Amino acid sequence: MKIDAPFVERILAGFIKDKLAKAGFRKGILGLSGGLDSAVCAHLAVKALGPGNVIALLMPYGRSFGDEIEDALDVARRLRLRAETIDIAPIIDAYFERYPTGDRVRRGNKMARERMSILYDVSAREKALILGTSNKTELLLGYGTIHGDMACAINPLGDLYKTQVRELAAHLGVPEGIRTKPPTAGLWPGQTDEAELGLTYEEADEILFRLVEERASAAEVAAAGYPKARVEKIAAMIRASEFKRHLPPIAKISPRTVGHDFLYPYDRSE
Amino acid sequence: MRAVLAQFAPGLGSVSANLDRHLETIDRARREKADLVVFPELSLTGYRLRDLVEEVALDPAASRPFRKLRSASREIDLVVGFVEEKPRERGLFYNAAAYLHRGRVLHLHRKVFLPTAGMFEERRFFSEGRNIRAFDGPHGRTGLLICRDFLHLNAHYLLFADGAEISIAISAAPGRGVSPPARGFASSRMWELMGETVSRLTTTFVLYVNRVGFEDGAAFAGGSFVFDPFGRPVARAGPFEPEFLIADLDLGLIRKARKAWPFRRDDKPEVTLAALERIVRGYED
Repeated sequence: MKIDAPFVERILAGFIKDKLAKAGFRKGILGLSGGLDSAVCAHLAVKALGPGNVIALLMPYGRSFGDEIEDALDVARRLRLRAETIDIAPIIDAYFERYPTGDRVRRGNKMARERMSILYDVSAREKALILGTSNKTELLLGYGTIHGDMACAINPLGDLYKTQVRELAAHLGVPEGIRTKPPTAGLWPGQTDEAELGLTYEEADEILFRLVEERASAAEVAAAGYPKARVEKIAAMIRASEFKRHLPPIAKISPRTVGHDFLYPYDRSE
Repeated sequence: MRAVLAQFAPGLGSVSANLDRHLETIDRARREKADLVVFPELSLTGYRLRDLVEEVALDPAASRPFRKLRSASREIDLVVGFVEEKPRERGLFYNAAAYLHRGRVLHLHRKVFLPTAGMFEERRFFSEGRNIRAFDGPHGRTGLLICRDFLHLNAHYLLFADGAEISIAISAAPGRGVSPPARGFASSRMWELMGETVSRLTTTFVLYVNRVGFEDGAAFAGGSFVFDPFGRPVARAGPFEPEFLIADLDLGLIRKARKAWPFRRDDKPEVTLAALERIVRGYED
């Protein structure tokens, strides 16, 4: 699971630079949460584009995540990139006052999608391309809000497990406080990913690595000494979240259909 | 013999822009007094073409890019990668490599082994080549292979049995695996290992030119190389970045290697043929 972090940095910064050039953009924009993934993405973006071409958008819900916003501002200051803060509380509150719910997952997803909506609007204002921050662990487990935090134009981190993102973060000089604090999706105050998933990222990544990279069956992974219930839970989460990793299927009725047999590369030049 | 390995990043779908890059590289190679420039797989078109295949296909006998390349080849030999469509076989597209010499196409190889698994889908868009053969090149008997061809032992054996002394492979191999202790991409080791092994056991020069750059998220690994007929590295490019790699090949080594290691003299193609016939006849569904 170990990575050659300096080489990975070169590839991912190269990817960002290449993608922006091909799409005709000079600037990149990302949502900076104060967590590990967006901090790493910001570092890579600065390497690729220079601090003047990276915009960090901080979108707290009021003051309920005070430390997170401080950490995010600290990253922005250290990297000397442009940071802008938009409080989503008035928007979210206006909606839920009119259509109340006690379901905190719904509230959390609504917040993630509100952030997406603002990110896309500001990206249009700034003529900047949106850099995604979903890591491989989240993508495989489906631990993200579809059309929320999973929405982006390009994703430099999507092939790195969470523990590999931590390794890269150490190489990039991301502050230790950000690297060691418990990861949170920020769905509600005090929420942590590991408590919600019922797994540590170390455990999840080791099991995912065997299932995905080594193509082991759940039975083989369990036989290698991992708790059977956890392995099966992870395998089930992968299966259940397949829809989050695709564009929606199109009902095919014509001889040539987008996504089925109308097939062009994303990166066409000219 | 001086060869230039043009490890670069072709643009996807833009033949005219890629042609310009070829002509610039050829100029530079001529200034460096090179005898041969080798470009990577699909160097005129880019790799992940999918439905663009039909839009970028070229007839090497008639198209404008090939007129330019044939003209450039009057002073320096070229190996280029492109999508071939012949006027007599319209609608069939091949992933092809051409060896150009003194204004004409001396040899054309159509990729035989089209990877169609995992991230690869070449057989969805290309026709398969049906021949692997060596030809008499200006620097000795030569063979061309394209990317995945290079990973099939029988492709190397056929060139060897056909007398090749110089084997040239052009490639668009993505990099996979970034775990230590590999330098660069872990997958590059497989290509190097094959190059070293084949050059030594067939006593031929092996030139491998891989592209770099990104297409739809995949990074091509670079790591182009030349091994001599004793299996020793002559030149090696780094991973991931463009490189204009010059390799000086002492062609006298072919004779020396074949004297020291008479694998070619001692080869028994008739044994191979008889055994293969038996194996093929014995296929069961």
